[in-house]
Amino acid sequence: MTEALDKSLASYVRAALALQGYAFDEAQIAEIVLQFSRLEAIAQSVFDWPLPFASEAAPVFRP
Amino acid sequence: MIGTAAGIVRQITEGARSAASVLAETKALIQAKDPGLNCFTAKTFERAEREAAAIDGLRAQGKPLPPLAGVPYAVKNLFDVEGTVTLAGAKINAANPAAAGDAAIVARMSRAGAVLVGALNMEELAYGFLTENHHYGITRNPRDPTRGAGGSSGGSAAAVGAGIVPLTLGSDTSGSIRVPASLCGVFGLKPTYGRLPRSGTYPFVNSLDHVGPFANDVLGLALSYDAMQGPDSRDPACAQRPAEPVGVSLALRRGIRIGILGGWFHQWADPAARCSVQLAAAALGATEWTELKSAEVARAAAYIITGAEGGALHRPRLIEQYEDFGPASRARLVAGSLIPATWVVQAQRVRQQAYREAIELFERFDLLIAAAAPAVAPRVGQETLEINGRSIPTKAGLGVLTQPISCIGLPVCTVPVWPDEGETAAERALPVGVQLIGAPWREDTCLAAARTLEQAGVAQIRLP
Repeated sequence: MTEALDKSLASYVRAALALQGYAFDEAQIAEIVLQFSRLEAIAQSVFDWPLPFASEAAPVFRP
Repeated sequence: MIGTAAGIVRQITEGARSAASVLAETKALIQAKDPGLNCFTAKTFERAEREAAAIDGLRAQGKPLPPLAGVPYAVKNLFDVEGTVTLAGAKINAANPAAAGDAAIVARMSRAGAVLVGALNMEELAYGFLTENHHYGITRNPRDPTRGAGGSSGGSAAAVGAGIVPLTLGSDTSGSIRVPASLCGVFGLKPTYGRLPRSGTYPFVNSLDHVGPFANDVLGLALSYDAMQGPDSRDPACAQRPAEPVGVSLALRRGIRIGILGGWFHQWADPAARCSVQLAAAALGATEWTELKSAEVARAAAYIITGAEGGALHRPRLIEQYEDFGPASRARLVAGSLIPATWVVQAQRVRQQAYREAIELFERFDLLIAAAAPAVAPRVGQETLEINGRSIPTKAGLGVLTQPISCIGLPVCTVPVWPDEGETAAERALPVGVQLIGAPWREDTCLAAARTLEQAGVAQIRLP
């Protein structure tokens, strides 16, 4: 991971934590940033996968 | 030896044993074996006495007995059991009121005559493939107590593997039935997504949560699966289709087309896991290799969906009670709750594409086979798995072969196979399960293949 991406992930996590109403100390935030960076790494393969433009999502909703 | 579910029903029907005597033996087994394994978090003996007495009463009156008459079983502690607190492996639930009623499939097991003896340990909130629970202790592997039982339904697999009960219930979001079944050497069934109702079950990831049985033989799986089938409008994901009983006359039809999954599934299987697959393939007469090309990305999609839904579900209590969550799950859950919506939508689109690829594969094959875990059970506390020269964290790595399949909801029967592979005698004595993967709604094919392997002596329980 590049230093720039590192910083951008850490900034995102801090902003998102605040937005969602969390309040953590620095050690806790560092652990959450680490976990989020793992999710981000895995998410890349999801974004790299070629999909037809009109492909639908698959959540379950049966009114 | 407690016996198999079908054997117990037969003995009770013929009068060779009473339900009360089977229960007494089960209680003695729990007392003798559970302290070393830590499978049970609650015992429901008063209820069990009532249920066993009801079965013996029916027989005394000459009335017909239900299909699981007198069979003792236990459930992962995320199923509601009337009068018991539903822990889901978490301290945050410990002070909750006791459940007012049974989960749908627990109620169905009771109606089928089964006798509930307790609730079983699991990974906290079902988030992980180990059962090294920070609050309720480690569940150990009955084959080798220095090793883990796997998870998240670790107590469910270990209780069957130790010979304490012939049947248990568990849940599987990304592999939580199949991984512990593989590590403990027992049979497990993860039905098609939506086949069995989850009402009264503590949720984790609604988009991916499945429930199903563990057993010490295939007929036990079939009997309990049939008892639990049928629609339930309280679970919005439960298919509103009638029960399709598989019965106990399970036979693989002639000419069945079986594909051995290569690619991702071969890369992430170590020599022992590959040997298990080869043994199963040979016994089933399968020689053709194939690939599910989207396996890796389906696993990634499952990861993102799991993080987002699990995180969102627990966010309010993560804000209020962060320190009450175990250290292995709390930061992961918070991180999941921060996942952007675009990632989740993309993951759900990928999921749909992966499903379509699998359906195309089922035009060529009726059944697919792959290992259920990349290796034998890891030692308790082992941080990494070494798979074919690559290192992967144990927590995530144990599910590498199961996540792509549950992501697209296919039915899977996991069977215990004994590859006799490994560097040490201890490793060579351990099983690696094989996933028998069917097309949607074809649990009958999975179970028939499992029965074939059982009859061939390739898939079997070996009591410690």
